[in-house]
Amino acid sequence: MFGQAVTGVEDEELIRRVAEGDDRALSLLYDRYSRPVYATGIRVLGDASLAEELVQDAFMNVWRAAGSFDPGRASFATWLYRITRNRAVDLDRRRQARPLSAGEEPLRSVTGGPEPEGGVDGWDVARALSRIPDEHREVLTLSYFEGLSQREISRRTGIPLGTIKSRTTVALKRLHRSLVNPAAEESQRD
Amino acid sequence: MTEDRFEELLGPYLLGELSVEEERELERHLEGCSGCRVELARARQSHDLLRGLAAGGPPAELKDRVLAQARGEIPARSRGGWRLWVPAAALLAIAILGAGLLWAITQGSSEGIPLTATVPASEGGGEVSGEVEGGNLQIELVVWGMPELRKDEYYELWYAKENGGRISCGTFRARPGGQTTVNLTAPVGATSYPEIEVTREPDDGNPGSSGEKVLVGDLRDL
Repeated sequence: MFGQAVTGVEDEELIRRVAEGDDRALSLLYDRYSRPVYATGIRVLGDASLAEELVQDAFMNVWRAAGSFDPGRASFATWLYRITRNRAVDLDRRRQARPLSAGEEPLRSVTGGPEPEGGVDGWDVARALSRIPDEHREVLTLSYFEGLSQREISRRTGIPLGTIKSRTTVALKRLHRSLVNPAAEESQRD
Repeated sequence: MTEDRFEELLGPYLLGELSVEEERELERHLEGCSGCRVELARARQSHDLLRGLAAGGPPAELKDRVLAQARGEIPARSRGGWRLWVPAAALLAIAILGAGLLWAITQGSSEGIPLTATVPASEGGGEVSGEVEGGNLQIELVVWGMPELRKDEYYELWYAKENGGRISCGTFRARPGGQTTVNLTAPVGATSYPEIEVTREPDDGNPGSSGEKVLVGDLRDL
């Protein structure tokens, strides 16, 4: 999964590849951002099936509109957040066309996003993950999102167990730095 | 165990991946080492955020559905069409009209701009709405009843003038059944073009319009 060169690519390069029809790039962006999109759906729509529909709609919008993405205007995360917000409003409008079921609530306000006013949400974590080096993102993704043990990660990647352990620690620290000081992480990456 | 080695174990410690002996040794070290306690607190913040993010993910099969749907459609291509050079004098001349149309799109109609079908799409229709963000217009286009495209075709949204000038706002394909909602971007100046068109385009590399209109709308009718 992480053996392909494309995995270390930043969001803006991936979206450029999506615009050229590269579905592997879309797959990587999905891996990075489907969780915050889904969490936004759960938070604002309060319904798991609508949240899934939101994820599907949002990433199909990314696929269809990738050519209109302008990296000079906003980061990919910010662009995707706007798409997500707009689609969530649409889904809620559609739901309002029918009576609410018992326990169902109308749309909650859409807050947060990649530049929240306070606190940290899934968008921030996904964006911070995209900024850290590929080797660090790899161990965190395999560990937290694929549920592999350190030994399994070692076997999967062919990297010694001791290195995986120390790399996991460094990766957690890099992620923390990427969250609290994104500019410093970007400059170190460059 | 050295100081550096203790620090290296903080990640596996948080993941519960240390042996009982390693864990005990690290915890003894932490009691007397404020530096490692600070590092542990930082790593724990990342650990907790990652666990929270991982716990709230969509079902795994959803990714397959999204990718399968994407593979059945061509994505919008990155195009230079909407960045057409427009003389500054002409922009000034149409600024007043543009301001009015911009107001119409973003404020004047809660329902958006209706699009009506031309003959080839007699059951089709659509609606355009938008909002200004930064220096651009973020457009939402909803269409329904669109004719089925060949694999080498796509739809394109344009702002157009009577004399044939056009600004492309992006390309898209409709879902099976002919409906979809897409988000597109156009420069704010595009709103000085009073007509909206959705055309059917061959994927032949030509950035110009085919002229094969499927849906049309007129901002002056508002």
